Amino acid sequence: MAEAPLKGIRVVDLGWLTAGAATSTLLLDLGADVVKVEGPGALDPFRNWVGAEAGRPWWDESPWFAFTNRGKRSLCLDLKDPRGQAAMLALLATADVLVENYRRGVLDQWGLGAAELRQKFPRLVIASISSQGEDGPERDMVSFGSTLEATSGLASLTGEANGPPIISGRDVNYPDQVVCLFASGAVVAALMERERTGEGCHIDLSQRELTSFLLGEEFVAAAQGTPSPRQGFGPGCAVEDDTAFWPGGGSAAVRDARGLSESAEFQSGTAVLRSPDGTPAKGIPFRFATRPLAVHDNCHSLGADNHAVMTEAGLGPADIAALEAGGVLATKPRRGPTK
Amino acid sequence: MRPLAGKRILDLSAHCAQQPHALAAAMAGKLCALYGAEVVRPEGPMIDPTQPLGRFLDAGKQQSTATGFNAAIGPVFDAAIGPVFDAAIGDANVAGAPILLRFSVFGPGQDPAMSELGLLALSGLLGIVGESHRPPAALAGHQPAYAAGLAGCTALLAALHAGGPETVDISLFDVTCWLNWKVAAAMMVMGEVPTRGGSRADWFTLPASDGHIALVYMEKDYPALRDMLAIEDPRFETRAGRLTHRAEFETLIRPWFAARTREAITREAQSRRIPIGPVRTPAELLADPQYAARGFVGAGGMPAMPFRANGVRPHG
Repeated sequence: MAEAPLKGIRVVDLGWLTAGAATSTLLLDLGADVVKVEGPGALDPFRNWVGAEAGRPWWDESPWFAFTNRGKRSLCLDLKDPRGQAAMLALLATADVLVENYRRGVLDQWGLGAAELRQKFPRLVIASISSQGEDGPERDMVSFGSTLEATSGLASLTGEANGPPIISGRDVNYPDQVVCLFASGAVVAALMERERTGEGCHIDLSQRELTSFLLGEEFVAAAQGTPSPRQGFGPGCAVEDDTAFWPGGGSAAVRDARGLSESAEFQSGTAVLRSPDGTPAKGIPFRFATRPLAVHDNCHSLGADNHAVMTEAGLGPADIAALEAGGVLATKPRRGPTK
Repeated sequence: MRPLAGKRILDLSAHCAQQPHALAAAMAGKLCALYGAEVVRPEGPMIDPTQPLGRFLDAGKQQSTATGFNAAIGPVFDAAIGPVFDAAIGDANVAGAPILLRFSVFGPGQDPAMSELGLLALSGLLGIVGESHRPPAALAGHQPAYAAGLAGCTALLAALHAGGPETVDISLFDVTCWLNWKVAAAMMVMGEVPTRGGSRADWFTLPASDGHIALVYMEKDYPALRDMLAIEDPRFETRAGRLTHRAEFETLIRPWFAARTREAITREAQSRRIPIGPVRTPAELLADPQYAARGFVGAGGMPAMPFRANGVRPHG
């Protein structure tokens, strides 16, 4: 069996929730080694998504976090502390890729901004996934995925002709999902470019732009003076009694979560897989004939790989012990749950 | 950035048997062209290159008639996208490509008649979007097919990066379900069945004086939202209360939004760091200041590659 396509590539993952974290997960699935970095005071919010029970190690018990981050190595390092920043730079010196979706400007405050990292590590590929991009008058606009559906044009065309524009909402947050499929490809493209030129790069990816890009023909139509109206299910299509109909006599059931999860196609598909421990895991949306992809590892507990990752980054036992003693390296959060 | 410079890719999107497959293949081919590959697209019946859809998807590709393609272009391709065999163009050239990217409905060889609406329906992504008292809403455009095209391009890049022969299969259904993972996971992980407009439906659009805005906020944002709207009713102080009394809550806040423009609402909300945004149309976005500043929309309304590498957009 041939090796996975990204075997030997090391990714440092500063991705939160879906847009950043699931991009790194796709790189993991393609064979990269991914180290997820969180701080003892700055955990991925998925660790506390549905509440947390006091007195329990809630940070290691979130099924939502495990679903997306299964198989990544876990480093819990305080990036607000200068000692943590130095350790992070040592780690990045060994990395091929950094994925991040922090609020713009935060990493710069810590000396970990893209410009500085590009100077220090010219071969590093830095993928910055943000709402609006790195610049422009709306760079700092606060947005969640569904905000971007509104500002990108998607919502204006979604919904009934005589109804309001529709956003996908909290249960979908569509732009946060679809960006991962694209951003992971941009990272692979940048790695290929590095082979060609010897240089890494900074990928400045705007989720809002991607959402508009996926309506590209509507922009072309608008520019030629024939903008499309909001038109529900599309010409000749209808939904009645939980069945969708389309021209040519086709139809399909409108499934809910139960109908989906119990369907044979879903169960034999790859959208949701299982970790080795049997827990449901984010699946893999592509299949390779000669390089079968799979979920190989469970979710690691917070900071489980502190020693191994820091050792690989060149820190000695005394350095690591000092970071632990100072609370810069940790295996649990400093504060309790926020909900 | 031109990582695929020197690569030749055969885009058989116009010869796919079904439209979702064709659109997915065409999107993957479009991205390959933007990444610098020479993408050859034999003409075919599925996508009209003169319409906005074809103009968007085929920009940057080398068009070819089937006959001309066979006679003039020869067998040397690094990869082929679309059906592996098509009688109209012959399979010799395709067979010469070491990497094949194929699209199917459920997996290789599982290709019942399907539409994008059908994919949304079967994946649950139709049933979950929309208001509870209205029909479900289909995400606009060609999201299932284009998302599959994005996945296909990523996989194709990975195969090219790795080298050697490879066949990559993309299931349109799997990709659409992958996008809708929260619904599947809610059932599999939590035993919950999320419903359209159900307990989590506190994000929705509201009329402004000149269009609509999207009301989007997390619980931590509610105090700022309450202050902005001058809400005093204690029933709405908790999320549970707002969801229980959703109709009353909406009735209460509607006039505030209806009396203001989208710009005024957005400015006020953003000053309080509430992630509310204006619903804009593609026509409006042609002159959007953010897009203009970043050079995202080109001549003829053509969106550019939606990222920059070291400040420059890949453009083939």
